[in-house]
Amino acid sequence: MHIVDGALATPVLIAGAAATAGGLAIGLRQLTTERIPTAGVLSAGFFVASLIHVPIGISSVHLIMNGIAGLILGWAAFPALFVGLLLQAVTFGFGGITVLGVNAVNIALPAVLAGIACRSFIRKGGRNNVLIWGGICGALAIALTTIMVSVSLALSGEEFNEAAYLVFVSHIPVMVIEGALTAAAAWLIMQVKPELFGLSQMKDV
Amino acid sequence: MRYLLLSALLLSASPAMAHKIIAEVFPAGSAVEGEIGFSNGDMAAGFEVKVFDIHGNQIGDALTDDDGFFTWVPEETPPAGPLKFIADLGAGHVAEMILDAEDVPGASPATVTPGAVEITLDSTAAAPADLSAVSDIVAAAVRNELRPIRRELVQIRERNRFSTILGGIGLIFGLFGAFFYFSARRQLKDAEK
Repeated sequence: MHIVDGALATPVLIAGAAATAGGLAIGLRQLTTERIPTAGVLSAGFFVASLIHVPIGISSVHLIMNGIAGLILGWAAFPALFVGLLLQAVTFGFGGITVLGVNAVNIALPAVLAGIACRSFIRKGGRNNVLIWGGICGALAIALTTIMVSVSLALSGEEFNEAAYLVFVSHIPVMVIEGALTAAAAWLIMQVKPELFGLSQMKDV
Repeated sequence: MRYLLLSALLLSASPAMAHKIIAEVFPAGSAVEGEIGFSNGDMAAGFEVKVFDIHGNQIGDALTDDDGFFTWVPEETPPAGPLKFIADLGAGHVAEMILDAEDVPGASPATVTPGAVEITLDSTAAAPADLSAVSDIVAAAVRNELRPIRRELVQIRERNRFSTILGGIGLIFGLFGAFFYFSARRQLKDAEK
């Protein structure tokens, strides 16, 4: 999921960096004082989640957990995921510094879109409702991310269909796992801390 | 709901447990050697190791000795592509090791190296058959000497990785903590006005 240094064409890198700068600007404005600790926890969770590998045949993919960040933080997920990605690049060599912009957009933008899209449904409450939309959010964020990764590769000259197929298919198990995890997390949050979804103060995104 | 939480916990916990196993395979001439142990230093003795090719067919097996060491000699040339070594250590512990395609014996350019040594020795001495036996013995001796070092390296790498993870988490919390501090201070100042 993390594209490495040197795999992309320069225009793609620049576009990714610009988009990330924009996302960070919006995200930081949304990151109110009360939400900073939440963002920190989710950022750390994202940082660790990518170290949990799910074996598939002879290779393995790792969890991403961007859906839950988008669900809770909205646009503020952008800086949270960006920090996690930056540290992953520095400490483990996942991705790299020059592709940081592209990777941040590929992972954070789907999180924001899926999170905002599913959030309004989850706010309505109801057990099945929360579980279903939580699951959709978790899986959708991964699906969108695989598409964006494929587009980034395609714009740099790789065959789109082939790249997209490979990335998408290998991440189907991740979608299932993250859908289940996000559904469980959303249901738990609705039970114990619904204000994380903005239900008590309705601070809308 | 309790079931969901439980399943979420189980899902996130089982891959993490795999970190406790340290398993490595490496090419050793025409054979493949491997080592299985736990991060506390114990070695996995007397476990069966199954060998699979890239298509998931089992193509052989081996048994670990008291030091968690095993040697696997392929009966026929394995198919191209990486090999997977799996050992079920019980209690949910499964050791998985991948041998990269270029390291697989038979298909590998790595086996050229002993041959090259042989040729250089050839020019100074007369009996090539003896020399190949000597180079085999030397290779085996070097492997034996390197074994503890290799084991220690793997352990250090594992420990390093863990402290890097903790350090990363600490950095993230620190960063957001500092951000929180400045943000809260600004808010308090605004409130004073």
